[in-house]
Amino acid sequence: MFVDAWDPSYGSSFEGGGDGGDGPASPSSAQVDTDVEVPAAEWAPIDVSSSVRCPDVVFLVDGVRRNDAGLWTAEEDGTSYAGLAASYAAGVVRCDLARGVAELVGARVGRGLFTASPTAADVQAGSVRYEVHRIHGTGEASKLPAAVQGPLTALEIDISATARDASSDGRDLLVVDGPLRNRRQLPRTIGYVKTQQKQYLPAALTAVVTSLRPSQRTPVFHLGTVWGGWSWYLRLPGASGAPWSGIVRVECSPDLTPGEAIELAEVSGATLPRFASSAYKDPRAPQNLVPIAGLERRLRGLLGDSRVLHRALTQATARARLN
Amino acid sequence: MIGVSDDAVLPRGGKQNDKSGDDPVGRVLGTADATPLQFWTAVTPGSYLQLDDVVVTKRDLPDREPVTIAGVVTQVRARHEGAQFDSDVFAIAEGTLPALVQEAAEITTTRVDPELYVPPAPGAIVHRATGEARDAALHFDRMERRIPMGTGRDGVPVFLNADFLDGTRGAHVSISGISGVATKTSFATFLLYSVFRSGQLGADGANARALIFNVKGEDLLFLDHPNTKLDEPTRANYKLLELPATPFSDVRVYAPPRAGDSSGSPDVSSRLTGVDAFYWTLEEFCDKRLLPYVFADADDERQQYTMVVHSVTAHLNRYAVPAEGGISIDGRRIGSYGDLVDHIVEQLTDDETRSTWAGSAINMGTVNAFARRLIGSKRDLARLIRGDLAQRRPHQIKTAESAQVTVVDLHNLPDRAQRFVVGVTLKTEFEEKEKAGTGRPLLFVVLDELNKYAPREGTSPIKEVLLDIAERGRSLGVILIGAQQTASEVERRIVTNSAIRVVGRLDPAEAARPEYGFLPPAMRQRALLARPGTMFVNQPDIPVPLCVEFPFPAWATRKSESGPPPAETMKSIVQGADPFAVVGTRGGSSDDDIPF
Repeated sequence: MFVDAWDPSYGSSFEGGGDGGDGPASPSSAQVDTDVEVPAAEWAPIDVSSSVRCPDVVFLVDGVRRNDAGLWTAEEDGTSYAGLAASYAAGVVRCDLARGVAELVGARVGRGLFTASPTAADVQAGSVRYEVHRIHGTGEASKLPAAVQGPLTALEIDISATARDASSDGRDLLVVDGPLRNRRQLPRTIGYVKTQQKQYLPAALTAVVTSLRPSQRTPVFHLGTVWGGWSWYLRLPGASGAPWSGIVRVECSPDLTPGEAIELAEVSGATLPRFASSAYKDPRAPQNLVPIAGLERRLRGLLGDSRVLHRALTQATARARLN
Repeated sequence: MIGVSDDAVLPRGGKQNDKSGDDPVGRVLGTADATPLQFWTAVTPGSYLQLDDVVVTKRDLPDREPVTIAGVVTQVRARHEGAQFDSDVFAIAEGTLPALVQEAAEITTTRVDPELYVPPAPGAIVHRATGEARDAALHFDRMERRIPMGTGRDGVPVFLNADFLDGTRGAHVSISGISGVATKTSFATFLLYSVFRSGQLGADGANARALIFNVKGEDLLFLDHPNTKLDEPTRANYKLLELPATPFSDVRVYAPPRAGDSSGSPDVSSRLTGVDAFYWTLEEFCDKRLLPYVFADADDERQQYTMVVHSVTAHLNRYAVPAEGGISIDGRRIGSYGDLVDHIVEQLTDDETRSTWAGSAINMGTVNAFARRLIGSKRDLARLIRGDLAQRRPHQIKTAESAQVTVVDLHNLPDRAQRFVVGVTLKTEFEEKEKAGTGRPLLFVVLDELNKYAPREGTSPIKEVLLDIAERGRSLGVILIGAQQTASEVERRIVTNSAIRVVGRLDPAEAARPEYGFLPPAMRQRALLARPGTMFVNQPDIPVPLCVEFPFPAWATRKSESGPPPAETMKSIVQGADPFAVVGTRGGSSDDDIPF
């Protein structure tokens, strides 16, 4: 028996099935090519090669979001649409491991009013402005939070490109929190997936994943899904010892050659373990990386105080009704 | 109005800071309460604030002119923002955790102009104050006469309001600090030098006199000798303070006669010229009622025999007549202090004469206690109370007839003799002042180890004199510059009467006492590690004590750093006693260089 290191309010690092503890439950329908690095029959944990040099500079990108207020519009015909005022922020940490400096090289805050209402206009709440993002379709309240992800991802792409342009040494590595999806065009970039929901590998190979020791990785395999690409599993140090604890899936762009993908896998195995967080400091340890945790704290600080914004929104809308 | 404009003029000869005056150094914090009297400032990255820096900020008000709030930095802190755990510092230093180093400074307000006590607005820009703004923040602009007392931490002069020194609005200085590292006497002499030479007191400063008691070593005997170790930076420091870097110009040194020497030559070993011997003749001893000062211990006063002391004093005063240097009493000629003591004891133990000397109600036990102590004083005082030396020879310490600075050397004297000299000298000077009835010329009295002469507990004739000076000296122009290791052990009335309080390095246990309540907590902590030459000066019109660094003395403080003696001291070389004996004593010591 093992206690999951994650705080229960964050869920679990993998979505287990009813029988529990044996890994991501829902099998994926994706076509998986496991013969990329080594033939499937020869799969075994791979140690970090001593020849791999960890890059001196690692960029880590993440975004945070917060729902500031739920709103309702009153249309002239008497109908009402749900609205969501949300703040989101994206930032980049530049970890210069050679100099020992981790700094925030870019952070941007966006605020939006997400609604399907055709009449809604921007809301000026105190000193901040919520720009209208019109949603297609019926726009039920439950679907609005997902709509925030688009602008946030755009912000993340934008800011990571800018940050890298300004201070790249050509050998750096960019770690994106979450799957790569439409960020695959960024060079030397890996997607970092904390939560395992799908079981991509056949049962025989899953045993290789659970037998990984800290800092070891599986061979690279290819996912044939829409957002697929090259992928591999990695176990971070500091895990509880449960079969799936401390396991993360790392992916890179499918546009790369298998050789380039394997090289990135090697680099990730040398780099990511040193960023792993410890259980008493982070409710999602060890998967939530230390720089990401620090970045999220800073970004949340940039979002501003939620109570102040909520009150400002209330006042702004009340004043608008009076006019 | 305190100006924050860029055309602020630098103080007199003040040197430019590395940051110019209109350069913002930070903003008022909003995460801690800002109050009119104290607030925190976040320091702009790339800037710094250190303790004692002077800053200024503005608060705009509706329908009014803006309020300028000026203050000094009383605490500075730096911390990692974004770190939650102590161990996060390793992740930050390794470069894995992003965090921000943020410095913040606590400002204690020194001036609000116009006097409208509003807090500064969080976010308001804070400037480093230089030039006129700094002068205004520290109230120097309101001082009509300001005496330079050194430089602040920013290297710009710091002043003392002369009104609180010369008796106009206050007087007396109390200096506390550990012996040896607190440089109490050096600061006292520097302050005197500044009074005499800055010209800020006008004629009062030039005519003022100083009476310095030298209790330790021969440190103060070279005030009129140039210091050969004076270097260029120190000269520049004096120039910055607009003071000449020269020794005291007019100094007279008095030393007790050498013990067992019938010629009365002064007992000094290192200074050879310009030293006079001081002593009292037996006639003066009787006539001026000096006997009580022989019993100047605080515990003497509690004893029964004080009655005897006063009766004997009165008897001597009435019946002693001068006779060839000594005195004649009851038809008997007495030529030395020892003889006088023997005679008194003889008369008191004789049943027939006792009542005429001590009154009738005195029992033998009391007389014996008196006699025992009187006999005990023979060894200590015999060389100071003389019947064998010429009466007309100048031997008395009188500042009015002496030089500008009179140094009385006590360091060779035993404790009882020290008390006698201090007590009698101060009493004489104070009585002279009382007789003259005018507060001018000013007389500065520098006395170290005040806790010995005016202890908190008990009474003694010296303590009475010192209390008199502390309470009435201000109007009579007698200003006490008292120094002590522990202000808590000095008579409270003397400390509370001091307008100016100075603290050098303090003992940790001593610093916690209420006598140092004027120091803010951070400054109290700093006083524990103050370097020699650093003092904290509290004056009534500035709400925060100022940290002062006073320059290395331009006069010699010991034989080895002394330059050639001034020409005028040569004339008294004839008084330098037996020249052969002096040569003999110098022969063996190697550290005494030829002084040219």
